[in-house]
Amino acid sequence: MVIAPLLAAPPIIGGGALAAWMLRRAWRARGDEGGGWRWGGWLVLIATIALPAWWLGPARGPFIAVTLASVAGLAVVASGVTIKTARARREGKSGGDDSLAPEPLDRPTTRWRSILRWSLAGPIGMIAAMAVGICYAVWVPGEPQTRLLIGGLIVPVVWGGAMAWTLADNRIIRATAVLGGTALAGFGLAILKGFG
Amino acid sequence: MASTTPKPVKKPARKPLLSRVPADFVRAVLKGHSALGLAFAAAIYLVCLTGTVAVFAQEFERWEHPAAPQQATPSPNAVQQALASAIARNGAPAEHGYIQMPTPALPFLSAHVEGEDGYRGWIANAQGNLVESGQSPWTLFITRLHINLHLPQTWGVFLVGLTGVALLSSLISGILAHPRIFRDAFHLRIGGSRRLQEADLHNRLGVWALPFHVLVSLSGALLGLTTLIVGVLGMALFQGDVGKVYELFLPAEPIDDPRPAPTIDLVPMFAQLQTIAPDGRITLVQLEHPGEMGGAALFQVEQDNGRLGNTDSFAFRRDGTLYYDARSADNNLGEAILASLGKLHFGWFGGGIIKIAYALLGLGLTYLASSGVTIWLARRRDKRNAAPGWEKLWAGTVWGQPAALAAAALAGVVGGAETPVSVLIGLWGAITVVSLCSAALPASAAQIGRGFQWLSAVLLIATALFHAFALPGSDPIAWIVDLSLFAIGVTIGWWAYSRKPAPANQAVP
Repeated sequence: MVIAPLLAAPPIIGGGALAAWMLRRAWRARGDEGGGWRWGGWLVLIATIALPAWWLGPARGPFIAVTLASVAGLAVVASGVTIKTARARREGKSGGDDSLAPEPLDRPTTRWRSILRWSLAGPIGMIAAMAVGICYAVWVPGEPQTRLLIGGLIVPVVWGGAMAWTLADNRIIRATAVLGGTALAGFGLAILKGFG
Repeated sequence: MASTTPKPVKKPARKPLLSRVPADFVRAVLKGHSALGLAFAAAIYLVCLTGTVAVFAQEFERWEHPAAPQQATPSPNAVQQALASAIARNGAPAEHGYIQMPTPALPFLSAHVEGEDGYRGWIANAQGNLVESGQSPWTLFITRLHINLHLPQTWGVFLVGLTGVALLSSLISGILAHPRIFRDAFHLRIGGSRRLQEADLHNRLGVWALPFHVLVSLSGALLGLTTLIVGVLGMALFQGDVGKVYELFLPAEPIDDPRPAPTIDLVPMFAQLQTIAPDGRITLVQLEHPGEMGGAALFQVEQDNGRLGNTDSFAFRRDGTLYYDARSADNNLGEAILASLGKLHFGWFGGGIIKIAYALLGLGLTYLASSGVTIWLARRRDKRNAAPGWEKLWAGTVWGQPAALAAAALAGVVGGAETPVSVLIGLWGAITVVSLCSAALPASAAQIGRGFQWLSAVLLIATALFHAFALPGSDPIAWIVDLSLFAIGVTIGWWAYSRKPAPANQAVP
């Protein structure tokens, strides 16, 4: 039986908050002391996401649960906020104990390398991603609608991955070769078989 | 005497997997993350902000019609009357018609017609008489701004799709560039160094709401790139015939017969639906050429079965022959994904509680886009390479948009349902241009930000008060929207008032 989301919300939010709280206990524990809390936290989180499949629908339930559990988790994180004293720092001083993320790589570049890099992240990455998606739609068995939809979903994922990779990789020729090769191979294989 | 017993050799603690990622790799990925974030920051910010507001599109539509007659299940005769009246009032022959049936989220009966002279709509009462305009300029403005940035459809939708891909890519590189993802999982340090505070907020929001971020960016990217993907599929696999791709998902077009005819009769179709889908709720009737012999009607019928894609489709010819019957229970995986994408993207799959959660998470994603640039600006200041021009530009961008959107909302409310959307676009565009040009003013980034915060607060409060007093109605949702706008306006005003002037060496958008 399917119940209203409003009825299912309190246990889902409670489960998400409990899972985050248990994981925070594990995070705060020293050494191996937090193992039980860690396992417990992950178990509660999985149950919180999986159980609504029976209450709210097989796909709809977990999506509702993931959404509400994220909000609950953030609330737990926010409840542990540390208020620090504001201070105006001298320019050029980054604060030694602030555990900031590493600095981005400072790599020399030229205009042509920049143009090539953004071309790879943009149109060339897009063409390569299209090739992978269409190749999937053509070669993988299944209902045509399913193949096309999954192929379509592959396009932004591969394009996004290609963007992340080409903008990070220092070896730009390697990226060019891989994306160019992927596009040629993907479209070639797709046209070879055709959509049947 | 010293003991000769050998001490047990202590095994070195094993580092977590992510901590073993080479530092140079992390720094290279961070470089890409930073470049991509900066290139798309404004677009991602705008799309996320408007998306957060658009979650409540149905509530805003009710807010724009607070006195419209609400109903649960109109009679087929009333629906027929509404359609006939809308076609008659439109004057010109209707190419298409849309009858929005009442639903719990949007309890109006409205009839819209589309002809050569444009698209018009009216709300009908229980007898099917048209009682007020069905146009909702603010709702249309905010949803179209999110979907295609009010640019020509093909380019606008593609740009938004590209923004979705850039966001997805930023999520991938953001995770790869975050080797302390577990070690910092609960760190949230506020009030110390600006850079640390922003980085903590950026990373915690990014990680804890990651499923939501992936879901909306992936679904948004696919929705935005659909035309392009289908075009390439058609070219590569169907000899350029994109219609063959759409045919796999949509009912076939009715056979064209342009001879004039009386308005298509929906009453017998409603009667058939009582038999073939007795438990369903009709939500939408789409009409093709309702005044021609080749007319047809497509009924969307929602089933309360817990599925994400829970809409059945039934299409009838003018003579009442059923020629298309697609049940959501029989959907294959691809059809089910397609039917779910829009709902998952906008948060329209779990009632009000999910809309509120989507709004909170959407606001977090909007903040994520904004704070990425703030971190970059703070880092530049730390390295004695401050960019005050960029700080001012970003402050104008971030705080100019709430003011521009609020001005459009106020214009929509003051002008009423018949206000052309172009007026709202013009006002939004003007404030956006002013906010960008404000970087040239002899003021600090903090002052520019505060100026637009005050403007946003005043406009939001004015919108709420004007609506509440000038457009009274009995719909509780309209009152809730007014209260929410008022509360948001007061909060932004309080924020602008209470913030201490920032030290001169801090980047504060």
